[in-house]
Amino acid sequence: MKRLFDGMPADAEAEERAWAVVREAYERREPARRWRSPVRPALVLAAVAAAAVSAALSPPGRAVVNAVRRSIGIEGAQPALFRLPAAGRLLVSGEGGTWVVAADGSTRRLGAFAQASWSPHALYVVASSRNELAAVEPATGQVHWQLARRAIRFPRWGGTRTDTRIAYLTTSRLHVVAGDGTRDVDAEGLPAAARVAPVWQPATGDRHVLAYVDTRGRVTVLDPDLGNVRWVSAGYDGARALAWSPDGGTLALAARTKVVLFSAATGRARTVRVEGVRQLAFAPDGRLALVRGNGVLVLDGARVRTLFVAPSRLAGVAWSPDGRWLLSSLPAADQWVFVQTRGTRRVLAVSHIRRQFGGEPALDGWAPSA
Amino acid sequence: MDVSSSAGAALRLELPVAAERRERALVREAQRGSAAAFEQLFRSHWPRAYRAALLVVGDAAAAEDIAQESFLAAVRALDRFDRRRPFGPWLHRIVVNRSIDWARARSLRREHFSDYAEPASAEREPGTHARALAQALTELQPEQRAVIVLRYLLDYTPGEIARLLDLPRGTVNSRLRRGLDRLQEAMRA
Repeated sequence: MKRLFDGMPADAEAEERAWAVVREAYERREPARRWRSPVRPALVLAAVAAAAVSAALSPPGRAVVNAVRRSIGIEGAQPALFRLPAAGRLLVSGEGGTWVVAADGSTRRLGAFAQASWSPHALYVVASSRNELAAVEPATGQVHWQLARRAIRFPRWGGTRTDTRIAYLTTSRLHVVAGDGTRDVDAEGLPAAARVAPVWQPATGDRHVLAYVDTRGRVTVLDPDLGNVRWVSAGYDGARALAWSPDGGTLALAARTKVVLFSAATGRARTVRVEGVRQLAFAPDGRLALVRGNGVLVLDGARVRTLFVAPSRLAGVAWSPDGRWLLSSLPAADQWVFVQTRGTRRVLAVSHIRRQFGGEPALDGWAPSA
Repeated sequence: MDVSSSAGAALRLELPVAAERRERALVREAQRGSAAAFEQLFRSHWPRAYRAALLVVGDAAAAEDIAQESFLAAVRALDRFDRRRPFGPWLHRIVVNRSIDWARARSLRREHFSDYAEPASAEREPGTHARALAQALTELQPEQRAVIVLRYLLDYTPGEIARLLDLPRGTVNSRLRRGLDRLQEAMRA
């Protein structure tokens, strides 16, 4: 077989055509100026890190660290989260477990979970630790059911009030389980999932529709109950996040150099050139927040505008249930930042987040009050 | 002692190492801006990249595009390329993954898969067996075609294919087995 393969024609004209194009690209590129040993910068970095750690451990060092934090954070930040600027309940998870924050600033720890999300009507929370998936009552922390699976990530709950499904990943396999913890199904046969949270289409009928990204950057939209794949997109480099619009009509994908808006019905894609978007979230009124680097952009119709630029890198995004406030976090400054998106632009910052939540928490969602 | 066979064995051992060193040197020179070094890399890898794409997608124009795009990706990533790693597997991974994507997208659009299209300016006429083999390949799923091409055209081991395509080794073996069985059936027919 090898001999037969090698005997197949290699089109010489194709080679010359390709070489002309590739040579031009090569000549236009900026060549690397200088070769540097990968060892030396690593040693320098390690030395700097060691010096920084030892300095930070001393009282004067701590003062310097605090000063640096102030310089990369928002000035005038509140020392603790006394209250949320809008109604609703905020769900966060991290090293310190999963927490629900009420509008008055009171917090309740639901357990030692690493990731979580709200049920479609925020009646329950689905949370996961490394090898456990659990449905939890947000008001009491009571666990309704648990499921032991290996390496669970990105639990996401979707459906109607009476019939729900939970999707999650185990390594690269997509699973779907009913909202009561029964009928756990491994979506075997589908391409392996990338490290991107799957998302449920907001319920528009009695069908459950799920979108996920595979390891080749393609978005698959499927009905897991029937096993029907509705459509599969082309592959996108650096696919990082997915979100459905509130009406379920549009699915947004953040990729390395663009944001892609898919029609839910047909999979037809519209591309918006915005580089480096890492997280995105739709507001209840359909505006799409894009987090990239230090900034938050808002895509409103066809227009992209900058909503907020922070002194350091932002992580995570959550809209308040009324769509007036947007929350992101500044990990380097140990702060949360609330930005008012309607009317007068106001920015409220809160410090010492890690101390309040036992570690740096990710923003899992801001749901209406119970 | 059979001198000729011993020398042959030594040569076989030495050649891949020498070739790897030579390739590393070419990558280094290309990173520094030597167009001649980059052309040598292109010329040495183009035939197999093109053939691999052609065998997976079964369409000469698409294969040319895929191989060309893979080299353009190589140009874009050249400065970041880790010279301790071999260039070939990295390029082949791009070629084969793009080919699978193309073939899947085409089948999703519900078009009929075209027959193996022989390029108009083929350097030489492929033999009857080669033609039949290429035709039989088009009967397989893109994923099966890809593992067969990686195994039998590009000489990767199943373990290497598993790493290249991010697949479990068992999946590679089963795709190879099923693909070969189907090829055999198709060529008998």
